[in-house]
Amino acid sequence: MTGRKMLALLLLVLALGLVLGACGGEQATQAPAAEQPKEEVTKAPEQPKEESTQEAAEAGKEIVLTIGFTESQTGKYNVSSSRQVKGLKLWIEQTNANGGIKLSDGTVVKFKTVSYDDESSKERVQELYTRLITEDNADFLISPYSSGLTAAAAVISEQYGKIMITTGAASDSIYKKGYTRVYQIYTPASRYLTGAVDIIKHVDPNLKKVAFVYEDSKFATSVVEAAKDYAAKQGLEIVLFEGYAPDTTDFGPFINKIVDKGAEAVLGGGHFQDGSTFARQLHEKQVPLKFVALLVAPPEPDFAELGEAAVGIVGPSQWEPQAKYTPEAAKEMGIEWCGPTNEEFVKAYEDAYNEEPSYHSAGGYAAGLVLGKAIMMADSVDPDAVKEALDNMDILTFFGHIKFDTSEEAHGLQIGHEMVYVQWQKDGDTLKKEVVWPLEGATAEILYPKP
Amino acid sequence: MKESKRAFPLADVLPGLPDQHWASFVLPLAVVLGLALFPFITGKDVHRETMFTVLRAIVMAVSLNIILGYTGYVSFGHVVFYGLGGYVGFYLVSEKGMSLWVALLAGGLAAGLLAWVIGAGILRLRGAYFALVTIGVNEAVRALIQNLDIFGGPLGLEMNFSVYKAYGGPQAMLQMTYNILVGLAVIAVLLSYAVRTSKFGLGLLAIREDEDAAEVMGIIAPKAKTWAYVLSAILPGMVGALFFFRNGSIEPHEAFPLHISIEAIVMVMLGGYGTVLGPILGAAGYQVMRAFLITNRYLKNIQLTVSGVLLLLIVLFIPAGLIGWLRRRIPASRRILL
Repeated sequence: MTGRKMLALLLLVLALGLVLGACGGEQATQAPAAEQPKEEVTKAPEQPKEESTQEAAEAGKEIVLTIGFTESQTGKYNVSSSRQVKGLKLWIEQTNANGGIKLSDGTVVKFKTVSYDDESSKERVQELYTRLITEDNADFLISPYSSGLTAAAAVISEQYGKIMITTGAASDSIYKKGYTRVYQIYTPASRYLTGAVDIIKHVDPNLKKVAFVYEDSKFATSVVEAAKDYAAKQGLEIVLFEGYAPDTTDFGPFINKIVDKGAEAVLGGGHFQDGSTFARQLHEKQVPLKFVALLVAPPEPDFAELGEAAVGIVGPSQWEPQAKYTPEAAKEMGIEWCGPTNEEFVKAYEDAYNEEPSYHSAGGYAAGLVLGKAIMMADSVDPDAVKEALDNMDILTFFGHIKFDTSEEAHGLQIGHEMVYVQWQKDGDTLKKEVVWPLEGATAEILYPKP
Repeated sequence: MKESKRAFPLADVLPGLPDQHWASFVLPLAVVLGLALFPFITGKDVHRETMFTVLRAIVMAVSLNIILGYTGYVSFGHVVFYGLGGYVGFYLVSEKGMSLWVALLAGGLAAGLLAWVIGAGILRLRGAYFALVTIGVNEAVRALIQNLDIFGGPLGLEMNFSVYKAYGGPQAMLQMTYNILVGLAVIAVLLSYAVRTSKFGLGLLAIREDEDAAEVMGIIAPKAKTWAYVLSAILPGMVGALFFFRNGSIEPHEAFPLHISIEAIVMVMLGGYGTVLGPILGAAGYQVMRAFLITNRYLKNIQLTVSGVLLLLIVLFIPAGLIGWLRRRIPASRRILL
């Protein structure tokens, strides 16, 4: 018994020693590497723009900006969030490896990151963002993944006057709360499915009856509510508008209603699991639909495992590797091209991580790209100058068109970027994901009506 | 005589056990106030935010201890009061333009009312049956809120940033909400102490040890349990209203997460259930450890593993919690550690 107690005590001491040792180690190793550049960086924004750049030119100095964010290393957002961070880190590595961003006065701007695990929960987001700003002296912020966590982080970033580029935060409402320094990379939720309505109008102006069957979650509900209004404005008849619980596995009752109402097209879905089950059951019951567009599930490579049931299903995506945004397209649009081409990004990402990039990865990279471009446009790291550059930004990147709303009501809302719509099509015996909308970025013609 | 020396000096104004040292009352308060004052001493915003999380956990653990520790009813649905209070408070501020103070009171009231209504029914169940039902109640309330249009359904509710102007801007709002939380934490400790040292609390302890025997001794168990449940619900409701107000948004899945209930149980067990000081130390220890691990440069990638191992060691070797262990090891501490 005494031996057991001794063992317990020993283990506890060891565990505590491990914790305390790590604490001491951190201070010893972090100080010289991290503090020196931070001082330079944090002083720069406080001074008038001209002075700071003048000083930098005299010294011909290199400054290292700290980009702070939280990552969902654990919890339900883990996969999407880690891909987003991989994308961002790739941009930072490439930028630093290419010698950083050079300002006109000779200053070289490089970047480093500080991040913490938010555990996919709001619980500590505000605490961690306060730490990033006040303790780690982050110069610029990137949002957590998801609209809910970003909404909590934005209260803190705005309070301290920090610029936060959001990626993975599609909800419109965040940008309608009066913030002035929060900028959205993604197409907002209100426009997630409106393109699907445009596709219907384009391929079959005679199609009238549309059913909305969607997951009863914040994201899916906000998407379909906006799409429903848009569809009604476009003259479509909404014959069914019904939500299902997130853990639904039997879509029989919903499918019966779809058939009863005589719907020709179905829009909706929610996340991967329910969306793919819904698609499979629509196929099994041979529902005579001409067009089906579902959220989130279709762009995922695993969706192909549905086989025949996946054929013809359309899904919105923030970005796809096949999307055709090119410098030539930028010229035609009369706006500036920025960053790598799609092929260059995909290759660099695959080389770095040995996996295909998802739209979350591309969003993370684009967030860095937009921040870097804003610094270049501002020719300064001064937050006010960078904010002004972001307000005036109108560029085309591999991720798509980037332009922000500057009105007081919805400052920072993304108004340039459009969703791309993918459709699973048969290529011989195999299934292939093709971009079918918008037409300028399409890799194949849309398969209509759905088989 | 000897008894007069040991007597609780504030016995006339506060309920106290006759042989309890005055330190048993002061110690829990001192711990909470010490933690609460830490950010004021350092003047750092990040410490204020860390302590906000710690004090929030203390209120949750101390209030849960009333039904779990004193009464012996394991509730896995404690977060339902936090979520409901959060929703009611948020609705009143964002949709009805009412002040935060009204929202706090309404949040606490709504949570207390829910406990009173459901408590009368579910507290008839004992052991695992009660524990299971509390999870069901949490899910049922979440589903109800998700389908109520006035609470925004699955979209939840949002608040404009400009609302904080009425409270002196976001910086002042964050400080003010922290100060309010300090007040709530102090009230939680006073409430816990008052219950523990009162005749009512003695009745609860009797129910915990043997409910049937307690009833034979004249304790009206259903009434006592319901009141204990109501008392344990009010403060989490107020804290929910406060937390979501400073977050600026509320959604069903963020307001009723099961893991907050489980963490609260862990914190109560770590510190020592059925004691006044135990849940405070458990909550503070657990949250400070998590805050440290999550931001530690080397441990942040394995923070859940490290905290899991530490918890396992503590639960394995000190099952009665820290206070229980100290009381057993050092008999003299029993007068001080309540």
